[in-house]
Parts: sequence; structure tokens; C-alpha cells
Amino acid sequence: MSELREPCVPGLFTEEEGGRLLGARCRSCGTPYFPAPSHCRNPACAGSELVAEAFGGAGTLWSYSVANFAPPAPHKFDAPFRPYVIGVVDLDAGLRVVGQMLGAASEMRVGARVELVIDPISHEDGKAFTSWKFRLA
Amino acid sequence: MQEVVVLGVGMHRFGKTGDAIVGNKSVTELCRAAVDMALKDAGVSWRQIEAVSAASSRFSGGKGWGLNGNDIVEDLGCTGIPVFNLSAGCAAGGNAFNVGYSMVAGGMYDMVLVVGGEVMPKGMIQTSGVEDINDPEFLRQRCVGMPGPAFWATLARRRMHDHGTTEAQLARVTVKARKCAVGNPYARFQKEVSIDEVLASPYVSDPLRLFEICPVSNGAAAAVICSAAMARRFTRKPVTVATSTVATIGFDDALPRSLAGPVPSGASFHTEAKAAVMRAFERAGIGPREVSFTELQDNTCYYELAFPEEWGLCEPGEAEHLVEAGETAPSGRMPINPSGGFVSFGEATTAMGVFQIAELTWQLRGEAGARQVPGARVGLAQTNGLGGNATAAILKR
Ligand SMILES: [Zn+2]
Repeated sequence: MSELREPCVPGLFTEEEGGRLLGARCRSCGTPYFPAPSHCRNPACAGSELVAEAFGGAGTLWSYSVANFAPPAPHKFDAPFRPYVIGVVDLDAGLRVVGQMLGAASEMRVGARVELVIDPISHEDGKAFTSWKFRLA
Repeated sequence: MQEVVVLGVGMHRFGKTGDAIVGNKSVTELCRAAVDMALKDAGVSWRQIEAVSAASSRFSGGKGWGLNGNDIVEDLGCTGIPVFNLSAGCAAGGNAFNVGYSMVAGGMYDMVLVVGGEVMPKGMIQTSGVEDINDPEFLRQRCVGMPGPAFWATLARRRMHDHGTTEAQLARVTVKARKCAVGNPYARFQKEVSIDEVLASPYVSDPLRLFEICPVSNGAAAAVICSAAMARRFTRKPVTVATSTVATIGFDDALPRSLAGPVPSGASFHTEAKAAVMRAFERAGIGPREVSFTELQDNTCYYELAFPEEWGLCEPGEAEHLVEAGETAPSGRMPINPSGGFVSFGEATTAMGVFQIAELTWQLRGEAGARQVPGARVGLAQTNGLGGNATAAILKR
């Protein structure tokens, strides 16, 4: 399989190290961010000191839902639409992230251990457009 | 500060484009009907209105700039008065009421028209209107695909985990809501549904079903508010605005609204809604247990369970029991959405904050017919909207 893969939005994540979100953390107050902002947004933070941090690896499923119907634009998906699970995951690194889940709703449960991966969400012009997703660990 | 009262309210029944209720009426026509009714109810002429505070629509009218208040003024006849167009997502009607209230309370004007209306596009609301990689809402929809119902379903699923809420208990909220709307002449849906019918409706976003999520609707609502001093010339029984508040989310808000945020150390809830409601209790000097009834933003049944607890109207984990015992019905001890709520009206997004003011006014006057809350003295209203906006208002008689 030599499918050409391209991020659905450039610059947000990398396929390296099993998949990582390119974010940042404020060294001054410890707040994690994804995507990386230009400065710390914590109103209680005395001095913004952002350093790049890549988030990925393991986490816990805080909750989840199902897209039983195709979402409106600007979402893109492969026809025919197939329902997918959307997870809200608390990464062990302290970041709560939303993302599609690999697997059916019947396999999910709140509190399950999961890990971040990069996977296609749609195909166009012979290319697979990828995003970050989570799969049950 | 001047005391502010609601002198008159009006509404156009909610419906869906092309149906027998709203047909192909424009948003300005819908608003015109609501405004005419509110002016008549108040006994005020258009030329006596000193300012307009209007909700800005993203979907209809307003010359594409959200200038919906200007459309209404042109339609009623230009009198040169100031117009304020307020944008706050689905909280815009509540914001418009707050700005109108604040201007009268501050003594800038004595007689203000507050109005909101919508003609909505079909289907799920497209939350991001722009393809801009600097817009977090665009990134969320492009990279994940998480429309409004999936956000609500995520919160509902978490409640099921925390409190053992069942799908049947969620369905009961809809059964109650639709029962309230029977005989409400302004509701889009005026027929009861059974719990079996609710549970047989398809999932929009598992665990939430079609009958448990408000659809979009066309509709409009208006209110004429004025100073208590001036009101004496028009009525002997005005409804008093105890307070009106606006808030936005706190930095510690942990709900999955964007792509990511810090994992919270405590509970996850709507910080903007709680802030607006708590501020309203504080400003009005009225506690949650003194509220006779509440009109809250039930985009989905979940909110009728979660919000009353978050605001102290009942104990945490008690809401499911109250619904099952009939205590959230108009005759119960904690009536929620006696109008039938968003689930029975559908959401004409920016009209909703004004829709709630109209219902509170009818309830407090004892004019709510079959859905009347017996002896209603204090009503609480709440909206929230995209961007982390929320509003609350407390009206009393
Ligand atoms: Zn910081």
C-alpha cells in the first residue's frame, strides 16, 4: 500500500513517534496548549513563557459521542457516510483533546485507556487526508 | 439605577420554512409580527420607542452584517432612534435584552424595544462559516467533525457515567416538555409524545435521539421594556426585571468546546451559564430556592438535568428523580421550561433570549393557560451561545 498521505490541515501534527500533536506549554504556569498560541492565555499567569511540546501517547477516554449523521461543511468525509465515534480524551500529559475514535460505539466505555494515532479521515485526488484519532489501548 | 419593567411582549409562532405556520416569511416579517404584538400588549406606539436593542442573526436578514435591528426600524418606519445589534451566537437575544435593560436601568432611555428573530437554514447548524486555519471552530470541524449534537451527546454520556442516568430518563424530559407545549399557541410542536415514541426516534448523536434535540426553527419574539416610573402611565401591573446578566467562560472551563485544553482538577460544566446565573442571583438578592420556575436553554434534554443542579435549584444527582416524580412539570416543585422549551419550539437561535422573556412575562401575569405555573412569582431565564457566551435574567411580579 503506497497511498499518498497528507495532513488535512498542515502544521498541526506529525506522524513521527507514532503520532504527535504540535502544541506548546507555558513554562511559567504549566498550561498545555494545542494548537500552540502566540502567548500564554492564562489570566492568572504572570509571565508567558511558551515552549514547543508535542503531545501524544496514552490517555483516558473522558466521554464520547457518535456522529450518526454526516456533519455539515467544513467537515469532509468519504461517501457513503459511515457513523464514527468522537472521543474526548484526557492525555496523560495533561491535555484534554477531542478526536475521532477508531472502533465502534459498542466497544467504547468512559474511562477506557486509549492512545493517539494519525489516520485518514477522507480521500481526494488519490490522496489520503489524515488527522489525529484515538484507538483503544 | 432606575427600576426596569417589561411592559409588553409578543411572539410569532415558531415553524419551519415552507410549513403552514411560517411559510416563506422573511425574518423581518416574523419580527414585525412579534413587535406589533408587543407594542399592542404594552399600549405603546412605535413613535414612543426611544431605542432598539436587537439580536444579530448570522443566518437571515441584517444585510449580511447582522443589522437585523436596522431592518426592523426601516420596516416600522425610520424615526432616527439608535439601534444596537448584538451578536453572541445563540445567546444574542439574551444579550440584546441585557443591553436594553442596562440602558433603561442606567437612565439613558426610558422606553426600549428588544427583538430577535430567525429564518434558519435546514439541518445541523454549520458552526464555522469560514475556512480559516486560525479559526479553532474551523479546525474542529475539519480535523474532527464534531457538530453541536455531538458536543451535547458527549456531556450526556458523561452524565450517564457519573449519575447512572438512563436513556429512558432522558426521554422522560422530552415527554414532559412536549406535554407542556400542548395548548401553547406559539410552540412549533403542540402534540404530546410517548416515551416509546421518543425512544424509537433515531439517534442524532448517540446517546441523544431526534426527539431529544431541538431542531432549528423560524420564529421571532419582542419585548417592550421601560422604566418603572414611566410604566405607571401604561399599566398598574408591570412585570419587574429583578436583574439581567451576561457572562463568558472562565479559563478553567473544561468542556470540549475547542480542539484541546488543560485537563481540569475538578468537575467539567458550563462556566459561562453558571457565572451568568450566579451573578443574577447575587444582583437580584434572590436565591435559587425562591425561583418559581425556570426557562433554560434546552438544546437537548441533558440540560434540564444538569443545569438545575449546577445552579443550586436542586441537589447534585437529584434531577433524574425530580423528572420522574413530575416535579419539573408546571405544577411540580421545580418547574423547568413550562413553555415546552427549545425541544418543543425548535431553536430560532438569536430569538431565544427574547422568547424566554415573553414566556416569563406571561407566566408572571398568570396568562399562560394550561401550562401556567400556579402562583408564579419569580422566573429565571438563561441562554448560552457559541463563543462561550451566556445570559440570565430574573423577572418577578
Ligand atoms: Zn502561563
